[in-house]
Amino acid sequence: MKRPVTLTINGERQEVAVEPWWTLLDVLREELGLTGAKKGCDRGDCGACTVLLDGKPVTSCMVLAVQADGRQVVTVEGLAAPGHLHPVQRAFVDYGAVQCGFCTPGMIMAAVALLNETPHPTEAEVRAALTGNLCRCTGYAKIVQAVMAAAQHGGAA
Amino acid sequence: MSAHLGPTPLRVVGQRVPKVDGVDKATGVAQYTVDVRRPRMLYARLLRSPHAHARIRHMDVSRAQALRGVRAILTYRDVPPVVHAGQPQPRAGSLARDQRILEDRVRFVGDGVAAVAADHPDILEEALALIQVDYEVLPAVFDPFEAMQPAAPSLHGTDRNLVIPPFIVRHGDVEQGFAEADYIFEGRYETSRPMPAYMEPDACVCEFDPSGRLTVWISTQAPFMVRGSLSEVLGIPMSKIRVICEHMGGGFGAKQDLYQYPYLCVLLAQRTGRPVKMEYTREETFVAGRSRHPVVIELRQGVTRDGRLTARQARFVANSGAYASHGPGITRVGTNALASLYKCPHVYIEGLCVYTNAPIAGAFRGYGAPQAYFALESQMDEIAAQLGLDPIELRMRNMFQPGDRGPAGTPFREVMLPACLQRGAELIGWAEKRQRPADPGPIKRGVGVACQLHSATSYPAVKEAAGAVVSINEDGTVQLLIGAADLGTGAKTVMAQIAAETLGVGLDAIRVVSGDTDVTPYDIGAYASRTTFIAGGAVQRAAEDAKRQLLDLAAQELHAEPADLHVTDGVVASRSDPGRRIAVKDLVASPGGRSARTIVGRGTFAPRNDYSFAAQFAEVAVDTETGQVEVLQMVAVHDVGRVINPTTAEGQVEGALHQGIGYALMEDLVVDGVSGKALNANFADYKMLTALDMPKIYVELLESVDDLGPFGAKGLAEDGVCPTAAAIANAIYHATGARVRQLPIAPDRLLELIP
Repeated sequence: MKRPVTLTINGERQEVAVEPWWTLLDVLREELGLTGAKKGCDRGDCGACTVLLDGKPVTSCMVLAVQADGRQVVTVEGLAAPGHLHPVQRAFVDYGAVQCGFCTPGMIMAAVALLNETPHPTEAEVRAALTGNLCRCTGYAKIVQAVMAAAQHGGAA
Repeated sequence: MSAHLGPTPLRVVGQRVPKVDGVDKATGVAQYTVDVRRPRMLYARLLRSPHAHARIRHMDVSRAQALRGVRAILTYRDVPPVVHAGQPQPRAGSLARDQRILEDRVRFVGDGVAAVAADHPDILEEALALIQVDYEVLPAVFDPFEAMQPAAPSLHGTDRNLVIPPFIVRHGDVEQGFAEADYIFEGRYETSRPMPAYMEPDACVCEFDPSGRLTVWISTQAPFMVRGSLSEVLGIPMSKIRVICEHMGGGFGAKQDLYQYPYLCVLLAQRTGRPVKMEYTREETFVAGRSRHPVVIELRQGVTRDGRLTARQARFVANSGAYASHGPGITRVGTNALASLYKCPHVYIEGLCVYTNAPIAGAFRGYGAPQAYFALESQMDEIAAQLGLDPIELRMRNMFQPGDRGPAGTPFREVMLPACLQRGAELIGWAEKRQRPADPGPIKRGVGVACQLHSATSYPAVKEAAGAVVSINEDGTVQLLIGAADLGTGAKTVMAQIAAETLGVGLDAIRVVSGDTDVTPYDIGAYASRTTFIAGGAVQRAAEDAKRQLLDLAAQELHAEPADLHVTDGVVASRSDPGRRIAVKDLVASPGGRSARTIVGRGTFAPRNDYSFAAQFAEVAVDTETGQVEVLQMVAVHDVGRVINPTTAEGQVEGALHQGIGYALMEDLVVDGVSGKALNANFADYKMLTALDMPKIYVELLESVDDLGPFGAKGLAEDGVCPTAAAIANAIYHATGARVRQLPIAPDRLLELIP
């Protein structure tokens, strides 16, 4: 039986009726049309579905929608105002950190979470913060460069 | 070969421009196939065989059919019994037709046996569980050598379970060559089963409109091959099939096969009259996707005292798994690669591709060459060690010359390996590190090198061509239509750069349209290392054609000779009288109210091939007490001809190194030798390097400027993964004296070999 939950998504309060077994990821993608977060494995291994839940990065495939009831969710779509880019998004584009782009939304959310906590991380801290996010295209080289560059330019915006 | 710089310096080609679709991807707006959603859409999934080899005696779908929300079920009785090829290249020389959409026989654990469409994905698992299948289990075989024995179970009724007759490469007389040798080296090299592990699972959405036109959104490297295969197998004219793939989450070769699922998805859409979406779980991408071929290579080479190769004899035995897929092609490429790389007068190589009841192997970056070069470059290292020669010196003594024939049978226009070796040696500090005294503790460091050369195209197996169309809009901006798909490599960006450079307009004036068979010209698909080389050549020609039309019009308007005119920043001007000028937009649609002109440039490019070269150097630290290998750094020096975009080009090598290091040390889909089940079909158990595991990597691109490809560009995408495993294995030998001839070089395997 579906039950209503209230989610604040990218600053907007939304009521959604969800089955108790639906994940936050499925609700974002299938019920709310927010397809930025990707389903790469559906078991918390790849990080492509990373969103911020009350400011903390989570793999949204491992969070039931009912667990997110009453909480704040930020997805890649909500990082910047329309027509603008968050500094991390800007750096990903400028430094060639985006190849196929499927890991990109989750990777960017993990990086944003890091910079919110640690505005000037070392390279080792960046790499450690991104270990939960798999990328198969880049060898992580330009992703790490982009996060370091975003930090220099005030990425915790 | 010859320098080919135009009269004016390049403005857009060679620049680090950001990807044209980078913002869409970084904001989550880019629509991938898995993001497609249609009104009244159904969801579908396959039931897969739990047995490695079985005949289906009977199936009962009645209970599944009765489940609320189930809309259609297909079994082998409901699908056209058309035998078709998994590798659907229409003109490939090595096509093997051995697949059916469904049949009453399964050949590996994961073979599809039924498909269900339902209102909601939640229903699918229960529906699949309610389908009853009565299997007659048959004997199965997983090892290619056992599969070739007369008593082995036969998968497809072929001689010795061979997918194709043995592929032979022969030059000279190997017996004579071995007779001339002072030493003979022999080794058996065994490679693993890594997965492409693209991040976007395989997926498609199929929808018929009421007039019978079919639209297929699918994550594919080859939209036109999808259209052609669906047309051939399902009997739908191509004009009624539209295949769309605007963005895709990686493919690395595997997404040029046609698996069972798109056919079934089309048939379910046909039967239900509703759009149907099929999306693989991650586990399905492992068990029912396509792996790199596990290959056993028995390699024997003769060499003189002073390090000259006299003979090379080898057998390349590829485990194709249950179906042919790209087995014929990779066997051919791998066998040719084994016959090449260094000059050897007497060569006899036999390539065998064998059916087994293992999961299907297919196309994956490098396409047979990584396996061949692991063996060849490991043995070159063994020879150098035995003869007391520096590994680079041994390679130099056996170097090809321009004009010698390469692995695809065409001559080398130039040979850039010496330059790659020299530069890489400088970058890693080769001379000093090779002579460094052994580390005193249990952690031993070492450096190793391996090379590769690779053809950009699949010539001569496929005679390739690409098409492009350039259309000038009324305001002077440009629509660039390309048949090539962009797997994420940056192909759209590179094509836009080539068009902007050629046309003399800014990059932001170009809109690239790709991945829609209703709109773009034909392209066989994005595979090999071909897109920049071939599709880029087509774009250059299309842009030149459009520019010629513009200059002819401008010549009339300005009363000038076309040869005296040039286009810069969207303005056509006379060289001799710069005051005579007209904007491109005014040429196309003049302000006087005249209707706009149609300016459409067309281009096709059908070269044979070109070779690119690389030397990769690895530095490792081996813990001799645990067998753990840490790669300290990789230096990759690649000759790729003209670099169109350094950022995307480096990205290709960086990503390939990630896959190459994984190939060397950890990646392997483990298949149980009794049940045939894949034991690690998920990202927790199938290990890939994370951001924290990746070593320092230095990529340097050498730009030999060849005049064949667009602005002298050659291929690059596959090359980076080809020599990596051997470079690491050779570094491990240098560090420890342990020669590992089997991938992956896992700690337990290495520990046994450390002296």
